[in-house]
Amino acid sequence: MQPLANITPLKPAARAGAVQLAGVGQIYETSGQDVVAVSDVSLEVRPGRFVVLVGPSGCGKSSLLMMMAGLRPQTSGTILINGASIDVPDPNRVGVVFQEPSLFPWLTAEENVEFPLTLRGVSRKDRRIKAEEALQLVGLDSFGKRHPHELSGGMKQRVSIARGLVQDPPVLLMDEPFAALDEQTRMTMGDELLRIWAATGKTIIFVTHSLTEAVYLADEVVVMSARPGRIVDRLDVALPRPRTFEMLSGDAFGSLRDRIWRHIRKSA
Amino acid sequence: MSSTTLRRLIIIFLILLWEVLPRTGAIPELFLPSLSSTLQAGWSDAGEYGHALMVTLYEVAVAMVFACGGGILAGAVVGSLPRPRVLIMPMVSSLYAVPLVILYPVFTVWLGIGSESKIAFASVYGFLPTMLATAAGIQTIDPQLLLAARSMGATLSQRVTRVIIPAAIPTVLSGLRVGGALVIVGVVVSEMLISSAGIGYLISRYRTILESAHVFAGVLLVLVMAVAFNALIRFVERRAAVWQTGTRAGRDAMAREIPAAALQPSGS
Repeated sequence: MQPLANITPLKPAARAGAVQLAGVGQIYETSGQDVVAVSDVSLEVRPGRFVVLVGPSGCGKSSLLMMMAGLRPQTSGTILINGASIDVPDPNRVGVVFQEPSLFPWLTAEENVEFPLTLRGVSRKDRRIKAEEALQLVGLDSFGKRHPHELSGGMKQRVSIARGLVQDPPVLLMDEPFAALDEQTRMTMGDELLRIWAATGKTIIFVTHSLTEAVYLADEVVVMSARPGRIVDRLDVALPRPRTFEMLSGDAFGSLRDRIWRHIRKSA
Repeated sequence: MSSTTLRRLIIIFLILLWEVLPRTGAIPELFLPSLSSTLQAGWSDAGEYGHALMVTLYEVAVAMVFACGGGILAGAVVGSLPRPRVLIMPMVSSLYAVPLVILYPVFTVWLGIGSESKIAFASVYGFLPTMLATAAGIQTIDPQLLLAARSMGATLSQRVTRVIIPAAIPTVLSGLRVGGALVIVGVVVSEMLISSAGIGYLISRYRTILESAHVFAGVLLVLVMAVAFNALIRFVERRAAVWQTGTRAGRDAMAREIPAAALQPSGS
């Protein structure tokens, strides 16, 4: 899959889960006019960190995520995952969870989770074992035989997370994964995600519109502005873990959220 | 009472009416021969009807291969490539307004009055809905599913075999049902117009000599054929598409693409 020869010899174990962006830019061409979607984004994420990208619509945070997933080429700059550039999607390094669960409706939950393994010709037995582990991790081990239309919105998104984790990639990219869920489910899923993150030690890069969700989940919040999409602020969230519901009404939480909001209001 | 039992009762009631009304003289036997005399007429000339059925079934089978095979192939090309779609779709849609039966005399000039002209006509007749359904089935695939497959490292051929084909199956099947029904219509109508064999030919010949019971025996055979075909497709549909929501979405797509009025047999 990946041109292994091009990887710079950088002690791969130490780099597992590291995400490095340097001068990343993306320009779209729409009817002869160039639109700068992302401009000169540099970002270094240490392994195991939970980083949330927030910003107004059109600030390029989703574009940035697509580039980190290898789904869209950047116009300029470099993106390194595990110390190697990512030119094509590589599910061994990066798992992706989208806003829509994007499950295949003709497959059961289990078969959906197995899908990335099926693509690589993994044997049926090994697929089953890994899929069961992944479903167990997201708390859905007894729902493997159901089809997506028999699952609730939150459950579908859990299956989608299990699918992103099934190949045990060091990095998980999540593009507004809970945006389509109702608020109660959304809160529960946030706690679930933090539990999974603590259990697996993945690097998570998470895009959201919700400031509360951003501060609640993140080690670090990266704030972007629109036209062109670029980073305007980076906040360390020093709140202790595990995060609790009570923190939402605390002063520390409020001041962080206000600081993000001021940036967004300015650029919107 | 469930709607299924009710439906069955209505059918039984109609069959009884068919027997009783002519028997009591409420309807003259010339207009509507009773069921028993129809069956008797069919039975007494079983050899003739059997031969005619073989001819018709042969024509239907060959035309089905051309119409459905060609329709699926053309639909796949038109559905997946934007350029042919722009060129061909408007033409195909306006072709729908043309009563294709006007082409049949031309086919007899080209191919004679044997099976070839029937097969050619029925193939053309059944081709359009199959093609439109396949094109619609491929066009309406959720692009998010293809993106998700790509993020899991699916190659182009894996995306075709594991995403596009299974996603298109329900719509294609409902197109096959309409296309296949039109193939049967096309064969029987063309046999009734100009021919020397087949069930349509028998119906038309017995009509000219006012043998009503024999006419209705032929009608009954065509009815059985159409119902059997429909049952077969429904069986395959149930097997192939357990994910019912998708099936319904497929049917809706069909309904939008193909105006119901255009599906009526034209002429004869």
